[in-house]
Amino acid sequence: MKIFSESHKTVFVVDHCPYMAESCRQHVEFDMLVKNRTQGIIPLAPISKSLWTCSVESSMEYCRIMYDIFPFKKLVNFIVSDSGAHVLNSWTQEDQNLQELMAALAAVGPPNPRADPECCSILHGLVAAVETLCKITEYQHEARTLLMENAERVGNRGRIICITNAKSDSHVRMLEDCVQETIHEHNKLAANSDHLMQIQKCELVLIHTYPVGEDSLVSDRPKKELSPVLTSEVHSVRAGRHLATKLNILVQQHFDLASTTITNIPMKEEQHANTSANYDVELLHHKDAHVDFLKSGDTHLGGSSREGPFKETITLKWCTPRTNNVELHYCTGAYRISPVDVNSRPSSCLTNFLLNGRSVLLEQPRKSGSKVISHMLSSHGGEIFLHVLSSSRSILEDPPSISEGCGGRVTDYRITDFGEFMRENRLTPFLDPRYKIDGSLEVPLERAKDQLEKHTRYWPMIISQTTIFNMQAVVPLASVIVKESLTEEDVLNCQKTIYNLVDMERKNDPLPISTVGTRGKGPKRDEQYRIMWNELETLVRAHISNSEKHQRVLECLMACRSKPPEEEERKKRGRKREDKEDKSEKAVKDYEQEKPWQDSERLKGILERGKEELAEAEIIKDSPDSPEPPNKKPLVEMDEAPQVEKSKGPVSLLSLWSNRINTANSRKHQEFAGRLNSVNNRAELYQHLKEENGMETTENGKASRQ
Amino acid sequence: MPTVVVMDVSLSMTRPVSVEGSEEYQRKHLAAHGLTMLFEHMATNYKLEFTALVVFSSLWELMVPFTRDYNTLQVVLVTDGCLGIGRGSLRHSLATHNQRSESNRFPLPFPFPSKLYIMCMANLEELQSTDSLECLERLIDLNNGEGQIFTIDGPLCLKNVQSMFGKLIDLAYTPFHAILKCGHLTADVQVFPRPEPFVVDEEIDPIPKVINTDLEIVGFIDIADISSPPVLSRHLVLPIALNKEGDEVGPGITDDTEDENSANQIAGKIPNFCVLLHGSLKVEGMVAIVQLGPEWHGMLYSQADSKKKSNLMMSLFEPGPEPLPWLGKMAQLGPISDAKENPYGDDDNKSPFPLQPKNKRSYAQNVTVWIKPSGLQTDVQKILRNARKLPEKTQTFYKELNRLRKAALAFGFLDLLKGVADMLERECTLLPDTAHPDAAFQLTHAAQQLKLASTGTSEYAAYDHNITPLHTDFSGSSAERL
Repeated sequence: MKIFSESHKTVFVVDHCPYMAESCRQHVEFDMLVKNRTQGIIPLAPISKSLWTCSVESSMEYCRIMYDIFPFKKLVNFIVSDSGAHVLNSWTQEDQNLQELMAALAAVGPPNPRADPECCSILHGLVAAVETLCKITEYQHEARTLLMENAERVGNRGRIICITNAKSDSHVRMLEDCVQETIHEHNKLAANSDHLMQIQKCELVLIHTYPVGEDSLVSDRPKKELSPVLTSEVHSVRAGRHLATKLNILVQQHFDLASTTITNIPMKEEQHANTSANYDVELLHHKDAHVDFLKSGDTHLGGSSREGPFKETITLKWCTPRTNNVELHYCTGAYRISPVDVNSRPSSCLTNFLLNGRSVLLEQPRKSGSKVISHMLSSHGGEIFLHVLSSSRSILEDPPSISEGCGGRVTDYRITDFGEFMRENRLTPFLDPRYKIDGSLEVPLERAKDQLEKHTRYWPMIISQTTIFNMQAVVPLASVIVKESLTEEDVLNCQKTIYNLVDMERKNDPLPISTVGTRGKGPKRDEQYRIMWNELETLVRAHISNSEKHQRVLECLMACRSKPPEEEERKKRGRKREDKEDKSEKAVKDYEQEKPWQDSERLKGILERGKEELAEAEIIKDSPDSPEPPNKKPLVEMDEAPQVEKSKGPVSLLSLWSNRINTANSRKHQEFAGRLNSVNNRAELYQHLKEENGMETTENGKASRQ
Repeated sequence: MPTVVVMDVSLSMTRPVSVEGSEEYQRKHLAAHGLTMLFEHMATNYKLEFTALVVFSSLWELMVPFTRDYNTLQVVLVTDGCLGIGRGSLRHSLATHNQRSESNRFPLPFPFPSKLYIMCMANLEELQSTDSLECLERLIDLNNGEGQIFTIDGPLCLKNVQSMFGKLIDLAYTPFHAILKCGHLTADVQVFPRPEPFVVDEEIDPIPKVINTDLEIVGFIDIADISSPPVLSRHLVLPIALNKEGDEVGPGITDDTEDENSANQIAGKIPNFCVLLHGSLKVEGMVAIVQLGPEWHGMLYSQADSKKKSNLMMSLFEPGPEPLPWLGKMAQLGPISDAKENPYGDDDNKSPFPLQPKNKRSYAQNVTVWIKPSGLQTDVQKILRNARKLPEKTQTFYKELNRLRKAALAFGFLDLLKGVADMLERECTLLPDTAHPDAAFQLTHAAQQLKLASTGTSEYAAYDHNITPLHTDFSGSSAERL
């Protein structure tokens, strides 16, 4: 997994000397007469490509495959050599595409057969290639800057692919010596420069090409180490399609590619639109897409492709997609592909199908046994990837269900509300840099975290834990108060919401206070409103530090709250005895709570609840019971609710909840000795509370009840 | 990783251990004691681990098999370091290692990723007195260095065996506990299996990366947008209830002991953020993007098995600033509220994903490849077909003509331009009497232009130059004639 291996930098040096204008002596029929055309016409004479044309189109094909599969971090520098070296592009990423190279090649044009062969040489190009390998790429620069003192870890390796027509083996040796010498010299220069890097390793691939039918004057030679820095190999190849095949093999070797043939692709026939035949398409991709086959030694899948007996390809069967459902597959790798025969009809049919957004699952062809889907072809933003799907069995099979774990028995999670929360907190790319007020760069992802922090300052997880989030009337306030800053209109809307609630209280409208999980009788209506106001205050208070406008919302809220809390407390205490006859639905609720609901049932319940919400415009769930009033509980220290102002007003819903949890927890452990003897120590315990909360605590004793 | 325990039950394992006390132990008792400790640890803290037990002396027997297939493994080999003699002994196998054929290859290295832990019921001095240690080290080397040898420190006794197995547990079986966070909503979780350290690039960045114990959610993305991304590994995220000592109360698997049972039941009734998150992810078809470390992210999602049991799962992306090209750089993902208009549309009918790359790939941009004659012939045929339908197909005719022209110029294939020019001229002579007069004009014009380009020198041979249709107006003149 090295970024800066030899394949980071590839230099093409293509001979542009007069002899390259020679024909490759392989004819191309381009005037194909269509059947039943006027007779008696002699087709135009076939033409043939020059050695230059063959070299250029083969190297362009090499680049096409490379750019398709590695659009980044694998760079090409193209040099043509005649009486001098013409460097057609640079290492910058903008220069790395076929169009740029094609335009530059057109500007160079074919070699001039009448130029003086004496002053033309491939040597100019090779020297320029070494020079260019010393130049630092933007990726190398970035990595060096990032690593600081470890900058020397960034390697500088490269490959020179030289296509020429050599005269003899000794000519080849001369070229190699020249490269060796030049590297030596340039490494000396680079040692004293900040902009250049010494070449650590250079792979020279010399391709001698000659017209078909001639004898080669140069012999093949496998890779050989000429020095610790330089290795060299020689390929002697006939021009025309032989050269193209050679470069196709080389690009696969150089970039660790492998081939997959998709078989059984159903395609409408061009001539008969209502029939379809099956086609095969061969794709290239990084060989890691086959890693599972290599690991299991499953090589029987491989067969030789039509290209030649030496090339291995793995065959996978097309599975016609039945649905457009999006599914999250377990995918262990995704590799860009490039069709071997990009313009053929089957290839373009397949790629267009994928580019239109469909995915295709690929199956291993097996004579017997069950169907094994091992890969998937899918496009993302105009790029096609071969996804490797895990087909081996996993240790994660048959895990416990989430409903069996912590929190799994709770049935009234605010699933729909959290879904809404997730949609509001979806991510989107911000490609243009943004700046904060202090001029520093703003990281969008940090903004996303900030927003999550704000949106969760007060977020009860279950329905019975909240009143305000069950009320449609609170939505206008709740949805804007979490914002970083408010507009005047937002403030106005918040105020309207508060006035509306005041109005509801005056009319004595019922509130959706949940009774689930409570034991005592539900509170009276004005008690319900007190709980609601407390909760609303908690929500607003959690955000007052955001801006001055948030503060104004709180001020409005405090001003509108019907009664001062102390007065309310007193009233409530006086009323306590009447509570007994309140509602009898409790039994039902308790039953519901014990019932171990299945996931699906629970979800269904939530959906139904959602429907009810629509039906009852103002009140979502009107249940008259509520959690016990806070002052009935022994107050436990809460360190998890810093946003609750303990010194002001009555206890918030959050602390109410914490109390309940603590009561539940107290069942699990041995009771504190102090609490067991609470009859004697009652006064002291609540004195402490009183100090802390400014509340009277006459109705304690409750703790021992449970 | 699943574990295979391989236990040495050869005669030498029954050698008594001189202990200070009255009871007499054999080495195999010590081994059994250590393994019991390991299994007990797994039963409480590493519940989802799968184990198998194999015993061996000169033969071997699978005592407890796995119930499934795996592609990775941990092997715990328990032995006293008496390697036996003769054919088939480890010493003999190692000595003849080079002579093995492909069909008879040594079992190490295993053909799957694995760790080999060797627990020696002997102390270091004892092993060093023979070549046992060397042989065992060879085994680890043969397993590509994956694994470790443990020996007993000090005299052989229960306590020291315990401490040796304790080291193994610390190394290989410590549960990974983390805190899952979404703003202020949090949950204690166990991540299973343990996420292994990951090396990004052994040259540039040789230090293995380890994931944070704070798993911070940064935002959410639709499943369709994240689109089956490649991941390094998958892990269950199990909510746990931690008591004050930091031991977990239970990650959700039913236990035998009554105490734990009731503790689990209580934990089940306390609302947990994982359950809320899981439920909403499942209903909405979304994933949560979670930050695992600097420039390292993963995703949380609901994973259902065939039995409709579902769970919260976390997949790790490859570390780096841009693990998924179709999402772009992770740091550049921000909240939708910062965008001028909602990129998902008001009716949730759009998506900002996938991101389009700057350059199209060859298969998406109609490149010209003439390596096979058929490629060239198809391109020429396209021009011809359109030539015969002039003037209706004027636009496509010139489009195809220019495409061919550009490629021919880039490849220095000027003969082709001449050839196609000749062909167009011939087509001109073959036009039927009924043909529109414009056809002849356009064909002649196109042929001329190609010939000019084929000289390779004039401005007509410029790559960016395009042959434009000849401007003709037959309708106007014919109307005048009438």
